[in-house]
Amino acid sequence: MDFMSALDIGSSGLKAQRSHLNVISMNLANIRTTRTMEGGPYRRKSVSFESSPVYSPFDKAMQDASNRDLHGVRVNGVTVDQRPFKEVFDPNHPDANDQGYVYYPDINVVEEMTNMMTAMRGYEANVQTIQTVKNMFNKALTIGQ
Amino acid sequence: MKEMFGTHINVTAKVLDLRLERQNLVMGNIANANTPEYKPRKLEFEDQLQTALALNMKGKLTKTDKMHMPAAFDPNGFQGDELKEFKPRYVYGEDSVDMEKEVAAMAKNNLMYNALTSVIKKNFTGLEKIISEGAK
Repeated sequence: MDFMSALDIGSSGLKAQRSHLNVISMNLANIRTTRTMEGGPYRRKSVSFESSPVYSPFDKAMQDASNRDLHGVRVNGVTVDQRPFKEVFDPNHPDANDQGYVYYPDINVVEEMTNMMTAMRGYEANVQTIQTVKNMFNKALTIGQ
Repeated sequence: MKEMFGTHINVTAKVLDLRLERQNLVMGNIANANTPEYKPRKLEFEDQLQTALALNMKGKLTKTDKMHMPAAFDPNGFQGDELKEFKPRYVYGEDSVDMEKEVAAMAKNNLMYNALTSVIKKNFTGLEKIISEGAK
């Protein structure tokens, strides 16, 4: 267990929060998208996080119990939300169906904004942890002076 | 003074190590703040340290006779206990880490770490002073 592993954990947290923010901005940007590469309107995406061990299995076998339990975070993947589309009557829209209805993705701006705040605060908290460990490192360096 | 460095400097060094370990665990918890089903971890060593220093609830190890051996303190004779929450806190899908608690633990840890480094530094400055004064 050393300083560098602390920084690795912090950066894993930063990375995870940033991917979350990327997905949120993708959702907000595509709020009115009716055509996608897969066909059909855009589907809302969300991320799934997973805690992942900091050390490799070999390292872990060689180290003590507290190292074995040290976990960073990892983005497991981007999942597609299966909620139904919003139906809007707009016969002049190029993607309207025979009855004149257009399907839009059901994205709730408030929900996305809330998730954005969560991601941002999570990011800030991780920055704080890195600052703290840097402070500790600098203090340890002053011992030798 | 039998030796140049007293045993207390070893105790401070050991406690610094444990504080760093605690910082690592807190960082893991904060990084996993949005991970569902994550169990927060914490490190407890204060009680163990007290016991190792024989200054626990029973008070100092009593010497009733001049011939009694003084108990030598071994700074490596204790270590921190890593505790895991029994069940993850599970609020609205993702919220298993108590952020306030973690940040407070981190701040406290940082302050104590800084204080301990000052203690070690003072130790050396004291030693230096004695050496330079004695050389005059």
